[in-house]
Amino acid sequence: MAYRVLIVDDSPAMRSFVRRVMLLSGFELSECFEAGDGSEALHLLRREWVDAILTDINMPGVDGEEFLRLLAADDVLRSIPAIVISTDATHNRISRLMALGARGYITKPFVPETLRAELEATLGVPL
Amino acid sequence: MIENSLSHALRAATNDVLERMFFIECLSELPEFVPEPVVVARLTFDGDPAGELELKISASAARSVSADFLGTDQADISEQEIYDVVCELANMICGSVLSRVESTATFRLSTPRIMDSTRDIANLSEVVASASAPFPEVGDSVVQAVELGSGRLVVSMHTETPKWPLVPR
Repeated sequence: MAYRVLIVDDSPAMRSFVRRVMLLSGFELSECFEAGDGSEALHLLRREWVDAILTDINMPGVDGEEFLRLLAADDVLRSIPAIVISTDATHNRISRLMALGARGYITKPFVPETLRAELEATLGVPL
Repeated sequence: MIENSLSHALRAATNDVLERMFFIECLSELPEFVPEPVVVARLTFDGDPAGELELKISASAARSVSADFLGTDQADISEQEIYDVVCELANMICGSVLSRVESTATFRLSTPRIMDSTRDIANLSEVVASASAPFPEVGDSVVQAVELGSGRLVVSMHTETPKWPLVPR
């Protein structure tokens, strides 16, 4: 089974990198969408269903924390698992984001295997 | 050899980010930066500690690492893509350093910006290493300079706090 994934990051370079790493890692990707912040992501999610969301935290506009709050408050979108990708590996930040509804957390820098493992664990892909 | 923990964290974070995200191995550490065409990115961070990070990278290395990061040919990369990648590199190193030295604190990074003097990459030959303003004298400053093969990378970090604890290198 191949999956539809949304990447939310204000850096076009990082979005491109994440997309490439998903493919390099062997993750089964059928379609990949991109958004520059939480607002753009929510707009896109009104018309496109995805299986998982990979989101940055520090973004202008609707940042990652607010995006997670808005997802959790939406009766339909709350079921989409969101995984945070961030440079911030501090305990406080990780705990807060997991409490807001993040299903996974990947700290930059990461290797392709880490991204694939986190996605597959979140999606319940059999080993 | 003994060094302070911020210096230790900067060295480890720089190597880690280059290896994992850019698939580049640092060839050697450099004692100092030789003036040459560079791209300069800078960002600040709030929290405990607060401070700023500056990244200087040779124009040639900036293009090369951008190609590695984006998985494309150097000839196909635009100036904006190079700036995006250099900013992301600065962001990742800064976040990685702070997570290493303050694992229980909360910090917030500003959006990295390319210093105006390096905006026009076509004229980088006219830009020297002193393109940006120096850090304040108060607080702690550390520098990590490495040779990447395609050019040099120098990361400088300044925090408002005094010296960090010493750790064995």
